[in-house]
Amino acid sequence: MIEALAYVVIALAGVAVIWGLVTAVANKPPGKAQLLFAAGVEIVTVVQSIIAAAKLVAGARPVELATTIAYLIGIVILIPIAWLWANVERSRFSGMVLAVAALGVLAMTLRLLVLWASAA
Amino acid sequence: MTGVPTQPAGSEVRGTSSGAGRALVAVYGVFALAATARASVQLLTKFEQAPLAYLLSALAGVIYIVATITLARGTHTSRRIALIAIIIELVGVVSVGTLSVLYPEAFPRATVWSAYGIGYGFVPLILPIVGLAWLWHTRAS
Repeated sequence: MIEALAYVVIALAGVAVIWGLVTAVANKPPGKAQLLFAAGVEIVTVVQSIIAAAKLVAGARPVELATTIAYLIGIVILIPIAWLWANVERSRFSGMVLAVAALGVLAMTLRLLVLWASAA
Repeated sequence: MTGVPTQPAGSEVRGTSSGAGRALVAVYGVFALAATARASVQLLTKFEQAPLAYLLSALAGVIYIVATITLARGTHTSRRIALIAIIIELVGVVSVGTLSVLYPEAFPRATVWSAYGIGYGFVPLILPIVGLAWLWHTRAS
């Protein structure tokens, strides 16, 4: 984990959560810019997981190694699944779906930061 | 299943995965992923530390998976399975939540349902109530 990158993920995911809620409240399906933004969040999240995986291979050992690995894998599948799920039926709730996934990414990144802080 | 369909497929029943149901399925999906991943790690690496808590975590994960899939499918049969799963979920979170407050020594490690899901913003307590309300809202009448 690179702490600064994790905070970038958290900030981007936070924006995606708010964006999804805003379009849901406005009763609009997610627009193109919003979907592209979600894709951007996903790319940064994937980069984060790859860097963290490389650090694990290089010998970094968080206290809960197995949990860390599970989170690094789980965190990258949330947005793609939500993206597909949101696009099968496009409505205000598509934005909610993206918001839920982004909130998951945000929470998991926070948890990863805590786990990583314990690394020796 | 051998039950006689009481309505033409997909016509009168408002699907459980449509409209607000999509957001509900998304929340269930996230919990299915989170609870199952956590429980798998706990069971595989430190089962002996708190077998009861970790088995309950695994049960919660399975129930979330079943609820996610059945709500997403929304057929007549899957609605029934969803109803059973969500009732078990509600009973689970209320009973485990209460027991974990009264007898914390029996739950040395947190589960998704400990203290009514306080570690997950009480979403585990709210989710089955919303799920039951949604099944009621989308019922065939």
